[in-house]
Amino acid sequence: MVDTALGFIAIGAGLAVGLAGIGTGMAQKDIGAAAVGAITEDPKMLGKALMFMVLPETIVIFGLVIAILACFVLPGM
Amino acid sequence: MFLPESMSRIVIVGANSSIDETTNVLYDLENIHLIDHTVDADEGFTLGTPRPNNSVATERLLKVRGLSKELGINKHTKTQSISESEIRSQITSDSVEAIEAEVLAVVDRRNDLNQRITDLNAKKKSLELLARLPIDLDMYSGYRSISSIVGRIEKDPTQALAGVGEVFISLNKKEGNIVAVFVKNDDKPQAQSILSECGFSELSVPEGTGSVNENLAAVNSELDAANKDMEVVQKELEELFEKHKHSLRAYDEVLAVDVEKGTLPIRIATTDYTFVIDAWVPAADAEMVKQTIESKVPGTFVEIEEERSRKQHDSDEAEDRFKTAPTKMRHGKISKLFEYPTKMMSIPKYNEVDPTVLIAIFLPLFFGFMVGDVGYAIPFIILGAYGLKFAKNPDWRAIATVLFFGGIWAFIFGFFFFGEALGMHFVGEYTEGAVTYTWAGLLHLDNLHNFFGAFLMNGHGVGKIDAEYVGMLLRLSVYVGIIHLAIGYIVAIYNKTVQHGFKHGFLEKGGQFLIFIGVVLLGFGLGFMLIMNGELVEPLTYLGLDISINWHFSNETLMAILGAGAVFIVIGSIILAKAEGAMQILVELPDTFGIILSYTRLVAIGMSKAGMALAFNYIALGMFAGISPDPTITTNNGIIMIILALVVFCVLQLMIWTLAILSGGLHALRLQLVEFMIRFYEGDGVEFNPLKFKRIKTFSDKNVKEA
Repeated sequence: MVDTALGFIAIGAGLAVGLAGIGTGMAQKDIGAAAVGAITEDPKMLGKALMFMVLPETIVIFGLVIAILACFVLPGM
Repeated sequence: MFLPESMSRIVIVGANSSIDETTNVLYDLENIHLIDHTVDADEGFTLGTPRPNNSVATERLLKVRGLSKELGINKHTKTQSISESEIRSQITSDSVEAIEAEVLAVVDRRNDLNQRITDLNAKKKSLELLARLPIDLDMYSGYRSISSIVGRIEKDPTQALAGVGEVFISLNKKEGNIVAVFVKNDDKPQAQSILSECGFSELSVPEGTGSVNENLAAVNSELDAANKDMEVVQKELEELFEKHKHSLRAYDEVLAVDVEKGTLPIRIATTDYTFVIDAWVPAADAEMVKQTIESKVPGTFVEIEEERSRKQHDSDEAEDRFKTAPTKMRHGKISKLFEYPTKMMSIPKYNEVDPTVLIAIFLPLFFGFMVGDVGYAIPFIILGAYGLKFAKNPDWRAIATVLFFGGIWAFIFGFFFFGEALGMHFVGEYTEGAVTYTWAGLLHLDNLHNFFGAFLMNGHGVGKIDAEYVGMLLRLSVYVGIIHLAIGYIVAIYNKTVQHGFKHGFLEKGGQFLIFIGVVLLGFGLGFMLIMNGELVEPLTYLGLDISINWHFSNETLMAILGAGAVFIVIGSIILAKAEGAMQILVELPDTFGIILSYTRLVAIGMSKAGMALAFNYIALGMFAGISPDPTITTNNGIIMIILALVVFCVLQLMIWTLAILSGGLHALRLQLVEFMIRFYEGDGVEFNPLKFKRIKTFSDKNVKEA
């Protein structure tokens, strides 16, 4: 019984990271394309472009935090 | 330290006859930010014209740059510094023109030779093709009623041309097909149309007599001679490069200075007899600037017009060209290194806080916390120190700055807080079934326990992915975020207070701050109530002391906290609605939650790296097989396996280390630029850009005398 519960927690954690990752990927896809364009035109844009690239990573970090909470905190409760 | 340097506006008035002297003094002061005169701004004044000697200097500068290009001298060429007076005396004695004549003579010879070699090569190629046909060169032309058509061709036209004329053809797939057709003049158009269908392209037959092969040999020997001449000329050019590189670079620098000084009048207001210069100077130096100019250039008068206050009102009231005072950031040696991220966003305004110092504190701190590992920190420090010492490019210097200072923090956190190196704890208890390696276990050093146990949290340090610490680390990162953001909100109110007074400042930015406090209280209360059931117990020991967290909150206390949070949110919302409209409340509330939680990345990124390191270490150290997490088990393994395991270990660790730069650096920067600076930073200032020159290849004689 305990194993089933742990399994569900693991699936939940996986979904949290995985789906958030897909979301981040979709956002970064467009930004990345635009960033490469900008850098081609002016290599000095590299710093700014990298900055914009990591903006959507917040989404996957939220997912990762939820997954961490699910893996580490939930089983102990 | 936080606000940019205070600025005064001065007006310099003098006679046109002393304009050169004044210009020299202004450049020597290196403290004058010129305000460009706008046409028709003042009645009776017009823009000045370049100084009379300027056209000569410009012409010479163009010559020097042209010669430098011909000789391949650029800014990377290593040359000596030469005294300015020596260079000036050389320039006045027409040495630029002398060098030009000397270099151009050789360059002309080189260009002629280049042309000749190109021509000979083309001729050689044609002859090589024609050599495959059994026709002498003089047989191709000189007929009255017959024309010859010679060229490359794709398809064999022999059959199509049968009866039209005589065809000589040589087919060779690799080198191309060549055809020569002799036809009566009347049949030439017909032959040409047939040939063009076969993919014909004409070749001009070189002039000459005798067999093609003889001609080819002659061309080859001519080509050899030309190439030999070319070598001589190249050597001469190299000698000229060595001979003139020092002086040409120095001429370039001195003449560039002269040209810029000579064109200064077109930026200022003049009449027939006088000039007027408007400029910004740092307020602290205004009096000194006035005295220096007035004493060095007799007859010139300097008036300090105003010391610009930080009030936005004063800037808005001023004339258009005087509206924006330039921003001169005030920084020490270390905080100056962090100007790069500020400038990446924008130059701070004259009347707002320059966030560079705050970035200098938090950026390395966050980076260090995310890395938090002695093994990765040491290479960061070394690489950063190397970059700071040798790198010239501002991008690389910025990266080196973060690596060096961030590396120091990473070392501190890794050594004293996490107790980790290369993803492994220094010391720790072996628990059955766990895969965690420790350095003490790996190296069989029991003494490490005594050393590290003395000062690490709970005797072995905080594990990034140990279930018992995860909650604590996440809370810690949120608390750090709250402090960081609170500073941001306070700076926002301070900025507006400086610009418009406290009342205005609080009404514009205070609403967001109150909502932020409310959200923090609400989150704290709800967290304790719903998740932790009113208590937080964290057994911690440090340096032998019991510093366990043992918080208990009754329901009444929690309700009071929640109530207080709600009150803050309501008051904040009212103020915000007045300042920016009611819709803004809907944006602000979830946004505030979001940005606070965004700081959990401090731990999340550390954890993701620790997770990777755990897996990689398990793979690599598992290959030793002899070294099990259980320190009591030891078996020996083959030397090849051990070397292989070491290679795998290094490659995988290098991967984590590289990722640490990217994710740690970018996310630490992002927390500054996005979460933090958006709270208060407006930017869009004008950088203080004084009249001055950077001498690299020349040195002033004044300095020599003083030294």
